[in-house]
Amino acid sequence: MVSRAERAPHPMRESGMFTAGLRHRVGRFLLIGIPLAILVIWTTLPILWAVLSSLKESLEIYESNTLLPANPNLDGYRTVLAMRGFDSWLFNSFLVTVVATIVPLVLSIFAAYGFARYAFRFRHILLLLYLVPRIIPRVSLIVPLNSLMSDLGLINTYWVLFITYTASAIPLSTWILVGFFAAIPKEIEESATMDGANMWHRLRRVILPIAWPGVVTAAVLCIREAWNEFAFVLALINETSMRTLPYQLYMLKDSMGVQDYAVYNAFTVLTVLPLLVVYLLLERRVVESIVSGAVK
Amino acid sequence: MNATLHDSEAMTARERSAEFGKRAVPYLLVIPGLLFVLGVLGYAVAGGFVLSLNETDMFLNKTFVGLKNYIAIFHNPRFQSSLWRTLAFVVLSIGLGISMSMMFALTLYHVGFGRRFFRGLSLVPYFVSGIAAAVMFRFIFTTSGGFVNYILTTFGMEGPSWLGNPVLAFTVSILANAWFMVPFATLILLGGLQTVDKDIYEAAKLDGSSGLHTFRRITLPLIKPMMGVSLIWVSYISFSTFDIILALTAGGPGRATELISVYMYQIAFLELDFGQGSVLMVMLLTFNTLLSLVYLRFFVYGDRRYKVVS
Repeated sequence: MVSRAERAPHPMRESGMFTAGLRHRVGRFLLIGIPLAILVIWTTLPILWAVLSSLKESLEIYESNTLLPANPNLDGYRTVLAMRGFDSWLFNSFLVTVVATIVPLVLSIFAAYGFARYAFRFRHILLLLYLVPRIIPRVSLIVPLNSLMSDLGLINTYWVLFITYTASAIPLSTWILVGFFAAIPKEIEESATMDGANMWHRLRRVILPIAWPGVVTAAVLCIREAWNEFAFVLALINETSMRTLPYQLYMLKDSMGVQDYAVYNAFTVLTVLPLLVVYLLLERRVVESIVSGAVK
Repeated sequence: MNATLHDSEAMTARERSAEFGKRAVPYLLVIPGLLFVLGVLGYAVAGGFVLSLNETDMFLNKTFVGLKNYIAIFHNPRFQSSLWRTLAFVVLSIGLGISMSMMFALTLYHVGFGRRFFRGLSLVPYFVSGIAAAVMFRFIFTTSGGFVNYILTTFGMEGPSWLGNPVLAFTVSILANAWFMVPFATLILLGGLQTVDKDIYEAAKLDGSSGLHTFRRITLPLIKPMMGVSLIWVSYISFSTFDIILALTAGGPGRATELISVYMYQIAFLELDFGQGSVLMVMLLTFNTLLSLVYLRFFVYGDRRYKVVS
């Protein structure tokens, strides 16, 4: 571009270049700007609409169709927080998410270290056993899991959620971590070994600090899976007080006569918000891991 | 003399046990997680196969009936229509999902300002649960007070009953599903675009290649692996879409959005026929396994995670 401008001494030609440049720039603006606007609207509209609706008055929707709330207020949120059982649903979601993040993470850190650093018999087949379950859709397992867990008497317990959530989180987090661990040059560890560090020390002091972005990504994805999980909790829990937030959000449809839009949307926003906060805090690591192909 | 012999024997014994301990290490690292995976997921899959060959009554007592459940399901017109519906849903979702992801990925690749912001924003729906996404879409398309009909009313048009019309409800389900799955595919494709060396584009430009031509002949072949990964993701999600449908339309109106997963849930948990429900589980698993075989064959074996770095 610059070199072409330098080669254009004639005033006529220069102005021609100028309009061409302008046209190019406008074209580029439209070519990028329009899809970008679509991207932003498409991504945010459902969430924005839920937030706006949650701030409206209960019957505003039926009386006057408005875009923005006439009297923005938090009554919807107050009603949700005062719901009988809301604290236990929130607690259940938190508890299950914490357990189903820490346990799979610890187990897959060990497993990933084993797969990334050791050559051993059956390694390939064991790795496949770890990874193949990633392609099993969760929902397909709900029928046998319900029958199995009733036989074990575990329906309506925290244990059933801990066990099933942990099991379904392990394959993905192991896959992510094997990639990050295998990318660490072995020489770094070898020098630590010469300094007398045993495996635990190497894992804690060398591997984990270097592979920290991978651990964070795996953790965020475990949190996401557990917080948003629906199929298992639907199949394995039927007591009201044992529900998690997504399950209760689903049941809200049946428990309200006339749909109170504000309450419904406030509930939706409240279930989505905690996870979005986690995502926003750790956004850079997660996005970079996905873009770099570490998660797939 | 004796002492030295004794010493050397002790050394070898200790060495041998140390050697054994060393060899056990990887297994000790790998097995605890595997117990969960096999004990829960493996057991469930095996249990599902067994259940599909049994008839269950209300108290879950099982009687072996061989392939009776399979025959009953395959002859059930409700299954046949839900199978075709699922295939249509998957094909349309792949078409829409991949083209949207590609458009968004190209946009994010070329955007000059705030790329990090837009990249982060684009992934937000990935963190919204399927249920919440479905509820959000219900309120966008609901007849009174929905966003879309509000817009249509301001332009003087009468908005249709989106979720009451079979074709429209099916379309809205595809849109909601796309909203949920496009972000991840977008970032995978963006990752692919970023790996392409910029010099290649310069060279193509010098050779007089047009934008579209460059995209088709250079970009697409170079990001083929990422295309594959996002294709697999999109079809996997679409095949097993469950919570979005259940919370958006519950399979309705009528059975207009009853996909195999929803049918499976209803036959097992509402009609309490676990045998036939398991047949549908086997179907879902088979579809996904076929897909993933393609996945493993074409994309995964080249990954360094399959090799030990040593």
